[in-house]
Amino acid sequence: MNPTKLLSIQGLRTEFPTPDGPLAAVNGVNLEIARGDVLGIVGESGSGKTVLGLSIMGLVDQPGRVTAGRITFDGTDVTNYSEAQWQGLRGNKVAMIFQDPTTSLNPVQRIGAQMIEAIQAHRDISSDAARQIVREAMVRVGINSPDERLEAYPHQFSGGMRQRVVIATALLNAPDLIIADEPTTALDVTVQAQILRDMRRLCRDTGTALIWISHDLGVVAQIAHRVAVMYAGRIVEQGATEEMLKSPSHPYTVGLMASMPANTPRGQRLASIPGGLPQLSNLPKGCSFAPRCTHATEACEILPDLCFTSANHAVRCVSPLHERGQHATGD
Amino acid sequence: MLAFILRRIMQSVVVLFVMSLIVFSMINLVGDPVDMLVNPESLPEEIDRVRRDFGLDQPAYVQYWKFLTGALSGDLGNSFIFGRPALALMAERFPATLELATTALVIAVTVGLPLGVYAGLRPNGWGARIIMGGSVLGISVPTFWLGLMMIIVFSVILGWLPVSGRGETAVFFGIESSLFTVDGLKHIILPATNLALFKIAMVIRLTRAGTEEVMAQDYIKFARAKGLSSKRIVRAHLLPNILIPIITVLGIEFGTLIAFATVTESIFAWPGLGKLVIDAIVNLDRPIVVAYLLFVVALFLVLNLVVDIIYAVLDPRVRLQGEEG
Repeated sequence: MNPTKLLSIQGLRTEFPTPDGPLAAVNGVNLEIARGDVLGIVGESGSGKTVLGLSIMGLVDQPGRVTAGRITFDGTDVTNYSEAQWQGLRGNKVAMIFQDPTTSLNPVQRIGAQMIEAIQAHRDISSDAARQIVREAMVRVGINSPDERLEAYPHQFSGGMRQRVVIATALLNAPDLIIADEPTTALDVTVQAQILRDMRRLCRDTGTALIWISHDLGVVAQIAHRVAVMYAGRIVEQGATEEMLKSPSHPYTVGLMASMPANTPRGQRLASIPGGLPQLSNLPKGCSFAPRCTHATEACEILPDLCFTSANHAVRCVSPLHERGQHATGD
Repeated sequence: MLAFILRRIMQSVVVLFVMSLIVFSMINLVGDPVDMLVNPESLPEEIDRVRRDFGLDQPAYVQYWKFLTGALSGDLGNSFIFGRPALALMAERFPATLELATTALVIAVTVGLPLGVYAGLRPNGWGARIIMGGSVLGISVPTFWLGLMMIIVFSVILGWLPVSGRGETAVFFGIESSLFTVDGLKHIILPATNLALFKIAMVIRLTRAGTEEVMAQDYIKFARAKGLSSKRIVRAHLLPNILIPIITVLGIEFGTLIAFATVTESIFAWPGLGKLVIDAIVNLDRPIVVAYLLFVVALFLVLNLVVDIIYAVLDPRVRLQGEEG
């Protein structure tokens, strides 16, 4: 085991049973993240990126469960942890932030109580001492007059403020890893930029590794060192952010980039990828993206492996685009 | 808060007035109480005298006016049968009913709430199926039949508990109640359980639904992501959120327990309000019926007010109308 790796995931498969047989929301994912690293996971709704995040937290809702693969955290295999063991890990070593800040906080409990309980779940300290830590955490995420704010209820906060509270809560026990599941999607653009900047700063200052899950490649590009693109439960392309943005190789990544508003000239219609996600119950035999892919050939009927095209770049495609000398943004 | 309460009280007075009008006119349409009061063999002069004595010879609006002026000074008339003030008769019976209703409510909550939470946390488990099946029975089996069965099983066959009536009472902290004596407790178990069965089923269903709804919320997921234990999540995050609707419903249900325990009280010969009013209806004892119905209306008005206030206390998002927001 490589000691510098904080989190290592091998062949992870998370399934949900249905009357038509199990659906694999996460289907053989391999990932590694080092301390202080920022990994972006990009994909559209239903691509399995949220379930991947929940699997790492041991929070997959019943009856779904991890059926194969291994999750190693800080050198320890946590795949078969009991609920009590997960409780010791969650919020302590690994924290998670969810998409909608308006629903992440208990509406009938004071902000302070909700933050203090996160500390006391893991450390045997007095409420006063915990309160002091909470106060400092609130200042760190830019909430002024924390004493007053601790007595407030969630509905007295704006969306951006609530997400700051959630982020401060995630940071309370100085976790090694934070999984942020679309934490800025529900916020307006200016607040989004602030939160993004703050998260980057906080993780750098504390050396916390970050997994940033988003459907927005543009947001991920601003924060992540590395990006993994997910499609129908699998990682289809992975690499260093800059390299991948410069030369995306998987037709799906190229399509995602082409559909970004920033890459579209003013007044022109946004590009879109024809078709929709395949049903997990009825995946195509080979490459899941083949039915929507304009470059698909017969060779695509066999599922390709995730292959390295350079030291920092891997792609799951039989004929990666940039090797054929095509331009990243397509035409 | 004060402005809200004052406004509610003023509304309540209007509601009570309208109700008194409706009750009074309705009851004048039903039968002639004089027939019930005199011997059928009596002479016509005799009957006329009784009619005059009770003021029943006067037009309805005059009777109503007399009733209204009396009511404003706290006099709801005398019972035709007992010849005593209706309010005093009700006040005598009220403690027995209150005691029965409170005991039933306590049973309903202490049994229903944990079962409902359990069923809501494991909605597909065997335990949940048994609980929910039982609650369907509790809702659909008629109260009177269950009451009779309970008497047959526990009193007649097993002989564990008394068949009917209210047991000895004792005074404790200035409150006279049968809950403070062993004999009294023995007497109240069956009627209170009988009265509670329907409410247990209701509390189970409400709690189960609330639990399932709240457990799917993001803040529960976030609480789990904080590493909290299941026990802590149930106590700090689940219960405070599901209690809000449950308390609202229970407040009103407490009213129905007090007001409509008539069936249970009749079966177990419980000397409460329900029995008083059933007898009054049979005997066309108008003042008692009118006083009782107005009492029920007032009871619900007060309970609604109390529930609204509790609601505002429990849920920080709720602001009562008229409060500074």
